[in-house]
Amino acid sequence: MTREVKRPLGLTPGALIGLMGRHVSFFIFAFLAIIATLCVRNFAARDNIVIILKQSAIPAVACIGMTMVLMTGGIDLSLGYIVGLASIISGILAKTLLLPVPEVVLAVLLAGALIGLANGLITQYLRVPAFIATLGSGYVIYGLAQIVSQGSIINRLPAGFLAIGRTDLFGLPSAVFVAAGVALGFHILISRAIFGRQLRAFGFGPKAAALSGVPTARINVTVYAISGTLAALAGLLFTIRVNAAQPNMGGGVFTFEVVTAAIVGGTSLFGGVGSVAGSILGVLSIKIIENCINLLGVSYHLYLAVQGAIILLAIIVGNMTNRRA
Amino acid sequence: MNDTLIAMRGITKFIYGGDGRPIRNTDVKILDQVDFDLAAGEVHVLVGENGAGKSTLMKILGGIIPPDAGELRIAGQRAELQNARDAREKGIAFIHQELNLCPNLDVAHNMFLGREPRRRGVKDAAAMYAKSSALLQALSCDLDPRTQVARLSTAQQQIVEIAKAMSFQSRVVIMDEPTASLTKREIDVLFGLIRRMRADGMGIIYISHRFEEFLEVGDRLSVLRDGRSVGGMRMSEFDPGTVIHMMAGHAIDEMYPRTHRVQEERVLEVKGLRLTPRTPPIDLAVNRGEVVGLGGLVGSGRTELAKSIFGVRAFAGGEVRYLGRKTTAWSPGRLIAAGMAYLSEDRKTEGLVLGMNIRENTSLASLASVATLGLISRPRELAQAAGLIDQLSIVAQSAEQPVATLSGGNQQKCVLGKWLSTSPRLLILDEPTRGIDVGAKAQIHKLIDQIAGTGVAILMISSELPELIGMSDRIYIMRAGAVVAELPAGPGLTQEKVVAYSCLGET
Amino acid sequence: MPIAHPARRAALFLLPLACFLVLGSLIPHFLDVSNLLNVVRQSSIIGICAVGMTYVIIIKGIDLSLAGLLAFCPMVSGMLMLAGVGMVPSIAAGLAAGIVMGLFNGLMVARLAVPAFITTLVVGQISQGLALIVNGGRSIGAFPARFVFIGNGSLLGVPLSDLLLILFLALGFFIQRKTALGNHINALGGNESVLRQEGISAAKVQFFVFGFSGFCAAVSGLLLSAQMDTVHPTQGDAYQLDAIAACIIGGVDLAGGKGSIPMAVAGALVIGCLRNALDLQGVHPFIQNIFIGSVIIVIVFLGGVVRRRNELATRGTL
Repeated sequence: MTREVKRPLGLTPGALIGLMGRHVSFFIFAFLAIIATLCVRNFAARDNIVIILKQSAIPAVACIGMTMVLMTGGIDLSLGYIVGLASIISGILAKTLLLPVPEVVLAVLLAGALIGLANGLITQYLRVPAFIATLGSGYVIYGLAQIVSQGSIINRLPAGFLAIGRTDLFGLPSAVFVAAGVALGFHILISRAIFGRQLRAFGFGPKAAALSGVPTARINVTVYAISGTLAALAGLLFTIRVNAAQPNMGGGVFTFEVVTAAIVGGTSLFGGVGSVAGSILGVLSIKIIENCINLLGVSYHLYLAVQGAIILLAIIVGNMTNRRA
Repeated sequence: MNDTLIAMRGITKFIYGGDGRPIRNTDVKILDQVDFDLAAGEVHVLVGENGAGKSTLMKILGGIIPPDAGELRIAGQRAELQNARDAREKGIAFIHQELNLCPNLDVAHNMFLGREPRRRGVKDAAAMYAKSSALLQALSCDLDPRTQVARLSTAQQQIVEIAKAMSFQSRVVIMDEPTASLTKREIDVLFGLIRRMRADGMGIIYISHRFEEFLEVGDRLSVLRDGRSVGGMRMSEFDPGTVIHMMAGHAIDEMYPRTHRVQEERVLEVKGLRLTPRTPPIDLAVNRGEVVGLGGLVGSGRTELAKSIFGVRAFAGGEVRYLGRKTTAWSPGRLIAAGMAYLSEDRKTEGLVLGMNIRENTSLASLASVATLGLISRPRELAQAAGLIDQLSIVAQSAEQPVATLSGGNQQKCVLGKWLSTSPRLLILDEPTRGIDVGAKAQIHKLIDQIAGTGVAILMISSELPELIGMSDRIYIMRAGAVVAELPAGPGLTQEKVVAYSCLGET
Repeated sequence: MPIAHPARRAALFLLPLACFLVLGSLIPHFLDVSNLLNVVRQSSIIGICAVGMTYVIIIKGIDLSLAGLLAFCPMVSGMLMLAGVGMVPSIAAGLAAGIVMGLFNGLMVARLAVPAFITTLVVGQISQGLALIVNGGRSIGAFPARFVFIGNGSLLGVPLSDLLLILFLALGFFIQRKTALGNHINALGGNESVLRQEGISAAKVQFFVFGFSGFCAAVSGLLLSAQMDTVHPTQGDAYQLDAIAACIIGGVDLAGGKGSIPMAVAGALVIGCLRNALDLQGVHPFIQNIFIGSVIIVIVFLGGVVRRRNELATRGTL
């Protein structure tokens, strides 16, 4: 018989910290939103909110994939470079080769999936540590993107292609809804599906998971494939948004931004802890900061440095509240 | 040659509860008023089964853990050891089973790690090599101190550790199962070293269960059982039967339930399985509704056998047949789906996912059964967890409680619950009641009996003799990677017999 | 020798020599004196970074802050020099910046148990951001002649860059082989618990290793800017991968505990040769990156295979 113990409604300090710890991402987001609304003029204006949502859509897509990789205790340092490669491939397929839009999308996503699969196989079966494998593959991918583009940028892409992300729905570009759809889908996958449960178990306790029949090798490879696919999708949406396909898109800075968002969103570097909802809030949080920096006229370069401080803060706070052994 | 180097009196160590505090008001302790002496120039053999308290006693002497009560005197002086370095500075050296060296450094750099000699402000490598050579020569070892430790055999690494200990002017050397991975020749060399050290007036504590070695190298022995000293003898009076009798007399304070009935159908059959290319083939079988015990000392290969059956360890020959099919290369996932379950001995890293709660842990091996179209149904999962909490009497606030906060007994019940949810036909249990309070132990025994009663075949590894003998219909005993005996339950199955087979390989 | 197999060490010393000969025979102008001097000049940047990186990899870490520090530290010194501060104090400030960033990495690793790749990635990003902020993203240049001389001048016919590389090679070698600290660094990478048991503070070793790596990055960055008479805010990007590749080619084991400074510098020379040769052949730097990225993966993979085979061979009975 389970002993039913009544929890007192008066929250003890310990319980409060525990509550905050589990929902760190929400508290950070709420805190930032409130401060921004109060301190920065025009922040809460409708147009500005729209800008924030538009700017969050693409990193959000990539962040979902990175979150899953982080949940296994790994990292994907090639993510930003996959974005660039996906960008130039989509430009070539859409404009130079004039392929139908569905085929372009499929091809780009497939390319991302294959690259991610390679990352996963190298990490799992060649036993190369993830940070080295993806560091090395990142440079390889960057070089490939440069070769494929032959140094040029492809502009003025076909309207049908651009429509995927630029169609106006309820005042927001369709890219935002694509991101929302992806988020919803993966939220269900991670929080409700068998795969998600096995992923979390693998991240927390790989040995116990393996002995419980969880297919750890398959999961490890799969998350990298997913990360690659979503990175490619992000590259696709990016290309549509700026109407230019170029190999320099994304890059190391984008990878870093995505990792920051994931960690601010509560993902633990040691594995197991992470959620789609948290990561989306993490993306929104850092985009709020970026937005405020723009509105206040502060240099963008300062924002890059600030991002680093944010991630450190998030790690330190995460260490204190997560407290994983 | 008769100075007392070490005198331990009334050493007591309590079992610690999940909250980190000692449990004082119970008869069950890790060590209970143990006395132990060591004289200069003697080799004192310490004998006892798994869990008897030998390593705890030596850890206390080695300064690694403090005693909860009792007194330690070194050369007549009272001493309270702060840590291992403190013990070493007071002349006590501990040669562990897992050797404590940096594999990537050479011998000399290992020996002088932390006290590298200096000359004119710079590390004096020449002096290190010279001193190391001298120390090794003193042990009649001509190893080149420039050799990288990773390239040394276990025996050579051991000699390096001994030489290192000697360089601290140790008077007392504790050796924990030193011959476990040595060849006969290497053992002879080691014994020569031990005799030399003894002749120099050092005192050596030699932990072992290898009876054949006691006579060769020991001067006297003491036996621990269930945390108490039960006696000793001078080596001149050594009689294996008496020692076994002392080791084996565990009190039996539980009535082990036996309501299940062994059936005809064979569930598991192991044929000619070799754990390594050098160990003999193993044959083993378990029937429906049968509880088969697997006994033997730590290191005899029981867990390795279980893991080989469960597909997580490669083995060197032979086959496993489960429900009539050859399952030799099957993955754990496939075996679980076919009804095999393995409750591993290390529940914290291999049994439970500590970051998750009861509900998530108990469903982990049977997710498909609480899911529809790949999506887990929370109500079904909760119902399953609640049912298990009820059935196994798990004490918890709810199914959402993190397993890390449960007591050892309740944690083990969670793991058991996880496996019961897979509707197993074969349940392999590896030390199912280790580190669990008495009440929970009895509950688990009852559960095991009930599970067997439903027709599940059970293979149970246990180091607790009363449990092993009380619960099993049949027992296999392993020693050094081989099965040395198969004993049916009955009046002839005594603790002494089991210990004799475990230690000697024969009676 | 505290570590490493003699035959393998000899082979790796021969590798840059082999490189020189092979490339020299295949590529015109490779063996021109002016070109070879160029090779060593460029390798010195990578080489000095590799000296610091070697220790980091030995203790099972990685330093991804090189890219940022290679820009930030010279930017600090450069801005000071252009503002009229003397050369020596300016250089000291730049070096101090590198050391402070490195010590911060050490702090995160030692006290907060943050994985090295993340903390160095973050510090690198912060440094890169600061390098961009300090002058609004613009390059600076036209430094005092004495400073430029450090990068391009010679002493007794030997370029100062090469001398600096040799100095750091000697320094790194000395620390690793001739000091107790060097032994502790190796031990930390080999078996941390043994180190702790001997009462040695693992944190102190980590602080030193990361601080020293930051110091090496600062020196390299200053040298690079002295060579080019310019500080470009993103000048560090190209060198980080090369420094890691240099260590890996030089046999530094990512699993920790194994690595030698001279071999890492040899690896840097190999990378320098390869880059130079590919440049002469007109191969685009980005394509060179493909090659180097793949080489890293392959060598780490092979290293892992060898290590696992060795482990299996020396395992005990059961």
